[in-house]
Amino acid sequence: MSSRPSALLSATFWEPGYEHLVEPVHQRDAAAVRRLASLDVAIHDESGKELASLPEDPGREILDLDRLVRDVAGADGRVMVLFDARYDERVFPYRPHHYAYLHRRGSTAPALYYAVNAVLGGVPERIGAAGLNNFETYVFRTSPFEERYSLLLGNVARFSTAEAEVFLHYERDRDTRNVTLGPKAHVEVDLPAERAGQRLRRVEVKGLFRLASYVVGRRAAGGELVLFDHLFRYFT
Amino acid sequence: MGPMRATLRALARRALGVTRVPTYYLPWLARPGLDCTLVLSNVEARFKVGYNRGPYALTVRQHDANGGLAQQHELTLRDVTDVVELPLAAVGAGYGIVTVEGERIHSDLYVTLSDGESYSATHGRGEWIERYAPHARLTHAVVGGPLAMAGRTIPAFTRHQYVYAGADSRSHLLVLNLSNVVNRVRAEVEAPPRAQLVAVPPLGARLLDVTALVEAGGETRARRLRLTGNAWFNVYVVGTGARDLAGPVSLMHVK
Repeated sequence: MSSRPSALLSATFWEPGYEHLVEPVHQRDAAAVRRLASLDVAIHDESGKELASLPEDPGREILDLDRLVRDVAGADGRVMVLFDARYDERVFPYRPHHYAYLHRRGSTAPALYYAVNAVLGGVPERIGAAGLNNFETYVFRTSPFEERYSLLLGNVARFSTAEAEVFLHYERDRDTRNVTLGPKAHVEVDLPAERAGQRLRRVEVKGLFRLASYVVGRRAAGGELVLFDHLFRYFT
Repeated sequence: MGPMRATLRALARRALGVTRVPTYYLPWLARPGLDCTLVLSNVEARFKVGYNRGPYALTVRQHDANGGLAQQHELTLRDVTDVVELPLAAVGAGYGIVTVEGERIHSDLYVTLSDGESYSATHGRGEWIERYAPHARLTHAVVGGPLAMAGRTIPAFTRHQYVYAGADSRSHLLVLNLSNVVNRVRAEVEAPPRAQLVAVPPLGARLLDVTALVEAGGETRARRLRLTGNAWFNVYVVGTGARDLAGPVSLMHVK
């Protein structure tokens, strides 16, 4: 667990069938790559059970996540992958982040490129926000698409159960889902695109603790990911 | 960037008469069969005491690949939860920069791409556009022209970005010139060394096809790309699937 200012704990989700390549150091030159001092990868199933804990070579530029996970016993469905990165102080004031490339093999769906969700650490003082909170939102297109929406939420805490409220805002009405996640557990929360003839407009996630969170869109027919992005986080 | 380097850059900007105009910008990409729609809101304003009532006036300017103003839209968000979807026209080469101007717009604004069945999305950036004084523009032309003939550029800004290429997916780059001078951007990879120089007009954009620089076959591989420009620029990743640029595509911001 990250506890120092120079540490960063990030999380993503792995599913079988995808090319999934992670950049431990994003947009930096070779010298910056060397400022990643260590990188530990942990893999957890939906209940939070640890399936593997793997120290990685911090000098490796690209981590083949699919190759790493697919041979882990018990990883036969979606798993949450945690990246515990420690940095040489000289990396700052650059705010470290991991990025990743994701594509279902053979699919006509476009490859996705995304910022791995930074859950704890980094250098939050540079954000300049005094009232850090755990309130995220995402706005959807209202046209009817053949696409299923959901949220992937994960609790990165070692010992604490985390609770969150998910608010689904439709044109006039609102629906609420309560989520309770044990340590290292995760869940996919379905977001129906339509409810009583009203289109989904916006989703909000509120919680006492910061969760790993992604908004997800899947093709209705094949289920492959076409949207895998962070929510918009308020800084007040 | 270290403090010393940042100070030197600030001094250089002053000497060249460069001003930075705060600007929110997004990329756009559209063609027949690929719809590009902006999703505009100001939901963050709900927590800004004194500014959370609306309405909010927005001006959207769509520039074509050569930087020309193709379309301008004036619109209004009624309140903090209002969302406006604005379809963009497929003008010129089919891609470019779009800017959004509005008082106290701090929320993420999204650009979405759809093939009619599903859509992908990414957000824009609240950053700036560099405006160079006439003598600085002249310097860029006099020094940059001969360098370009040798495949080089004035190395004022550098970005590193991984690009991906495989048999059934790729990541191309949309290079955005965020300045009022011609931006000659050199993209180069190592081993085997390959380079390409693109001249991007002021507020224009160029689509950098990754296959011009790296092999694209078999399993997807990442390659480190170094981009150098004579003025401020940014890139967005253009993701493609098995049909490459003829199929559905995604756009994604980078840090």
